[in-house]
Amino acid sequence: MQSLRQLFMLQGRVIWALMMRELHTRYGRENIGYLWMVGEPIMFCAGVAIVWTSIRAPYEHGLPMTAFVITGYVPLTMWRHCVGRAVKAFEANGGLLFHRQVTPLDLIASRVVLEVVGSLIAGALVMFGAMLLGFMDPPQDLGLIYVGLAYHIAFCLACALLIAALSERSDLLEKVISVFMYLSLPISGAFTMVSWIPEHYRWILLLSPSVQDCEMIRGGEFGPQSHPIFSYTYTASVTGVLLLIGLSLTLRSRRFIVVN
Amino acid sequence: MIRCIDITKDYAIHRGRRRVLDHVSFDLERGQKLGVLGRNGAGKSTLIRIIGGVEMPTAGEIQRNMTTSWPLAFGGAFQGSLSGIDNLRFICRIYDLDYLETRAFVDDFAELGRQLGEPVKTYSSGMRARLAFALTIAIEFECYLIDEVIMVGDSRFTRRCKEELFEKRADRSIILVSHDMNFISEVCDSAAVISNSHFHVCDTVPEAIAFHERN
Repeated sequence: MQSLRQLFMLQGRVIWALMMRELHTRYGRENIGYLWMVGEPIMFCAGVAIVWTSIRAPYEHGLPMTAFVITGYVPLTMWRHCVGRAVKAFEANGGLLFHRQVTPLDLIASRVVLEVVGSLIAGALVMFGAMLLGFMDPPQDLGLIYVGLAYHIAFCLACALLIAALSERSDLLEKVISVFMYLSLPISGAFTMVSWIPEHYRWILLLSPSVQDCEMIRGGEFGPQSHPIFSYTYTASVTGVLLLIGLSLTLRSRRFIVVN
Repeated sequence: MIRCIDITKDYAIHRGRRRVLDHVSFDLERGQKLGVLGRNGAGKSTLIRIIGGVEMPTAGEIQRNMTTSWPLAFGGAFQGSLSGIDNLRFICRIYDLDYLETRAFVDDFAELGRQLGEPVKTYSSGMRARLAFALTIAIEFECYLIDEVIMVGDSRFTRRCKEELFEKRADRSIILVSHDMNFISEVCDSAAVISNSHFHVCDTVPEAIAFHERN
């Protein structure tokens, strides 16, 4: 029978095939085609950065506005896209499950990889652009940015798995998800730093792994003078538990999916 | 060998559940060609979809010791919005096939010409069947699951299907669902009837046909 290594290679091939397929269906082959995968988040990030830089004060709580917006919007777009693409993902792509080697987990993994890669490349390009134009300083601690991003990617994957599996089982969730995503903006960490609010209320923000991730990313960009507040162990355990629940629900969701 | 052990399938209906398959058990040997008969809605397609792994049984188990194709039927297997070529690429990627070789085979067999570059949703049912069939036999499965699809084509297509499947690949197993009794008695070496959600294995094909027609 097949060895474990062969099985991993098979799933790798399936995820790759799903990614290519997704790129074709979503962007087609017209004009710049695949590049829209990066172009879309770039326009969003750059657009918001330009608008905020021009209409708001150059510094907020001592932090430069452009860099602050970019470090918040990249994780936020990544999360929003991952979750948005996960809603009813099984129903939309159920036909692919016609092939036995394609599993629900592959469907989500391929979408998450695309969104994550797209927003990371877009974020890097916007950052370089802002640095070249003198609106942003190079990061103080690149390592901490990487750690924050790694945590955030794991969090996005966990959310995508959870939402995909739950939206398949409940139509109600599908309807309330956009409201939920909008209302959760304050606990995304994109617009505030924890140290800006009174000490008494900080714990509420710190419950959210996304806030912790943003604190790490901003701590990496601005250095200690931005007073980032985060805990590696807390974020790792909450993200880990979410990931496990998401995985378990997704692996068990095959039975609920009706393939036409 | 493919072994079905106590396959049961219930569907939720307006009130309660309807049992489509009730404790279906049988073995399909290597090289066996099993025809499945039954009236419309008897559960033939459901059974073939369960064996192909597209649907999960409510209870029971399938053991597959042969590589098994997806259920070759009218729907499924394709993404309508993608072109035939993109669908072909996807299948090459997930089954680890050489693209150019497979493309050449599909071009030759399906005879779709330039239409292969158009979205599959614009195909006629005959064209779709040709593409589906070409792609399925491009992959050398040990067992093919075929749900009616050969019968939609013209006589040339039916002849080529028979040639590729029953002559060149005579050593493979096949489960064939059809309402065409002549076709079943021509190509199958065994047959079974699904009636009242039970699966009756018959000793010979004519016996199965007689049983089916009494129903």
